[in-house]
This record gives sequence, structure tokens and C-alpha cells, in this order.
Amino acid sequence: MKYNMVWTISYLRSLTLPSRAAARFFEFPRFAGLLLAGLLMAGCAATPDPKDPGSVADFEQINDPIEPFNRGIFKVNQALDKTIIKPIALVYRDYTPDAFQNAVHNMLNNLRSPIILANDLMQGKLRRAWDTLARFLINSTMGFGGLGDPAYQLGYTFHNEDFGQTLAVWGLPNGPYIILPVLGPSNPRDTVGLVVDALIDPLNIWLSNTNREEFIFARSGVQGIDERARSIDTLDELEKSSLDFYAAVRSLYGQRRSDEISDGQPGANYPMPGISDNFPGENAPNQDAASRAP
Amino acid sequence: MFRRFFLAALLGAVLAIAGGGQVRAATSLEEGAKAFIDTVSGQALKSLTTKGVSRPERIERFRTLFKENFAVTAIGKWILGRYWPKATEEQQTEYLKLFEDLIVVSYVDRFAQYTGEGLKINKTLANNERMATVFSEITQPGNTAAVRVDWRVGKNSDSYKIFDVVVEGTSMSQTMRSDFGSIIRRKGGQISGLLEVLREKTAEFKKDAGAQ
Repeated sequence: MKYNMVWTISYLRSLTLPSRAAARFFEFPRFAGLLLAGLLMAGCAATPDPKDPGSVADFEQINDPIEPFNRGIFKVNQALDKTIIKPIALVYRDYTPDAFQNAVHNMLNNLRSPIILANDLMQGKLRRAWDTLARFLINSTMGFGGLGDPAYQLGYTFHNEDFGQTLAVWGLPNGPYIILPVLGPSNPRDTVGLVVDALIDPLNIWLSNTNREEFIFARSGVQGIDERARSIDTLDELEKSSLDFYAAVRSLYGQRRSDEISDGQPGANYPMPGISDNFPGENAPNQDAASRAP
Repeated sequence: MFRRFFLAALLGAVLAIAGGGQVRAATSLEEGAKAFIDTVSGQALKSLTTKGVSRPERIERFRTLFKENFAVTAIGKWILGRYWPKATEEQQTEYLKLFEDLIVVSYVDRFAQYTGEGLKINKTLANNERMATVFSEITQPGNTAAVRVDWRVGKNSDSYKIFDVVVEGTSMSQTMRSDFGSIIRRKGGQISGLLEVLREKTAEFKKDAGAQ
């Protein structure tokens, strides 16, 4: 757990409110109001000095044109987290048995299988689709309706997929960074992904058709608490060690999403420090352009 | 005619030798980088997870390991990026010291609670003639999936250094670069602003370290 950076971001993303919740959340007047406020504030965002190529490059690379507005929402989210979400997650983590927590986590993963399978297929990843299907069949039966994860022992490890990743694989750009109320870091592409995943989830559709919406909310709530409980240590540490928590989360979100989209395949030469004066007398063979003086 | 053929053959032979040399160099770089990470992680696990060691002592051990095995100056400089040349020499010196302090105090405690079995190296790939990436997994106790950790290792003659640690696709150096850069921008592009924040942050930590 201490080592687990994975959850740093994934928790923020996976507080997924399925269909009705999402629909209500994005209820037009409120959402439009927020958007308008955001755009207005973007007008007074710190735009770069067009004469300084370095700061223009930074501005484009950071990809956060409505930063002041995003920081506002981020602050509200943090307050909400500190007063409600995190305390609940702490109680859940520290006062319920580990076996119970594992069962809940397995169950949530199993319920997500149809969405993962659909996205595997939409991305044309048959091998991973097969893994997902096998996991679903094994865990739903031998795993007592998803409470256990015997598929893991059989070599079918869990992987996640979502429609935001599918859109990325299809070549859609992410668009600017945005912080969603409650849900946290996102961008237009991933936001569309969240809504589509919630809408095509067969369990949600069935619950909705049989007037059992309360279960949709319950599942979202449990999922949120599960993810938050798993990320407590990592996020605490990140908040402690970063100078600007907002900027650190923004960077991690981008990196994490790229990693998820590529299914963990190492990116070709992503920017990194190169050999320089630490080895005196030699030039840096692979210092990227951005790290040189402008 | 014959001469041309001879030249072509010679050229081919030279290329083949050079290419072979490159392959051999890459292999030895990969093997060296792998052995290096293996050793460092073993050392870290041994010296940092030992029970009954006081926190100040653990901090000292971590600092020694970090300075010996990480390209501290190169990473620190890269994180500042285009702001590095704008800093005065004194600022650069203080920055590098504070950067080291920040790393040491913020990561040292992560080892104390670790109870897994350590590092498993899956493969190593040379990025170019001087850099290689070591792909590893850190096992966790219980049924939890292992965490993917990639090490960017640079080589000069016989000395290896770590340039970046990438955990589940998130680079430590990249994240710090974004973090520090944001602070500098918010302080009007001034390095002094970053140094202020770094001093505060590390003082806070050092106080914590003293209290325990």
C-alpha cells in the first residue's frame, strides 16, 4: 500500500457516478453556469507573454487554460474530501476486516467487467477482451458472484479500460485539463468517456429500467469509498511532499492516463533528465530540447 | 570494377563490425544497468527496512544511498529546466541542497513500512549508448498486484546512476518538474520564490524528524 502510486489518480477518476447521477449532475442550467463562469475566469487566467517562447511552450505543454477556475473547484473538492469523503474512507479502511474490503473490491471490479470488455473490444484488443471475459466467468462462478478473485491465481490479472481510453485509441485528442466537481481531474475526452461508460453499463440500464436507481447510487458511493480508502496513504504523501499539490496532481493525471491508454507500454523517449555535469567532461547525449536554455 | 566491389565489401565489413560492437555495447550496458539496480535495491531494502533503527539514522542512510546512486545534480537541473541558467550560482547551490533534502525527507518513510519481498527485474532495454531502462516490479504483501517501477539508468565508464524512477507510468522527475515549475511561475518567474517554498517545506519536515 505504501508503495502504491497507482491509486494517486485512479481514485479521483473512478468516483464514477453512473447514468442518472451523471445526468442529474450535468443538469443543463447548472453545468452551463459553471462552464460560463469557467470561461469568464479563463479570460483573466495568466496567459503567457507571447514574446517569451519558453513561457508559451510551458503554457501549451501544461494544457490548463482555465487554471484559476480549476484551482477553485480543486479547493472545493479538497474541502469536501477532508470533511466527508476521507473520514468515511478512513473508518472503512481501519475498522472493517480486510477480507470484507477485498470482497467489496473484487465485487466492484467484477461488476465493471461488461464495460471493460466492451472497451477492450472497441479498441480491438482481443487478447485483453478474452482476459476480461474469462475473469468475469471464473469470478462470477468460482468466485461466489465476484466476491473472490480466483481468476487472478489462474493467471488472468485485472486490467481496467474505459471509454475515455477508447476515444484516445481512436485518435481523439484529450482537450484542455479540467477539474470536475467531486470527480476531480479530467478533460473533455475523459468526461465524455465517464458519461458513456455509465450510460452503456448493462447493470445500470437494468437497474434503471426496474426502478432501482438507489442501487446505482449505492454502487457509485461504495466505489468512491473503496478507491479513496486505497489511495489514502499515497495522496497524503503526495500532498506532503509536493510544493504545489494542484500542479503535482495535474501532472500525474496526464502521465497516468497516457500510461493507461498505452496499456503500460513504455512511451517512446518521454522527457527525462539526461546525462550532464554529473559525469564531468561529457555532453548530454539525450537531453531534450525543453531542458536546454531557451 | 573489382576495386569497387572490394570497397563495398570493405565498407560492409566495417559496418558489420561497428554494428556488432554496438550490439555488444548495448548488451553490456543492459547487463550493467540491471546488476546496478539489483544491487542498489538490495542495499536499500537491507539498510532502510531494518527494525529498530532511529528515524534520524534512517534519514542519514537514505541520504547516503540517494547521493551515491542518483544523478542528483542532473535531475535537479533538469527539473528547473529553462530556469536553471537564470539562477545565480548561490541559488543553484542552495536549490540543489534543498532538492536533496526534500527527496530524502519525503521518501524515507516509505521504506520503513515496506514488508514485501523486494524487487523483481523483468527486462532491461538500452535507450541509446549511454542510457538504459530497467523494468521491474515491486511485490506487495498479500494478494495485491505488484507495482510496476521503471528505472532510467545512465552510464559513464564504469559508473552507473539513476536518472528517473517511473512508477506505473508516472515519472518522479517529470512530476517534480511540473510541480516546481508551477511554483516558479506563480512566484513571477523568480527562483527566489521557489527557494522560499522549498525552505519552508523542508523546515517543516526537519521539525517532524526532530520530534519523533
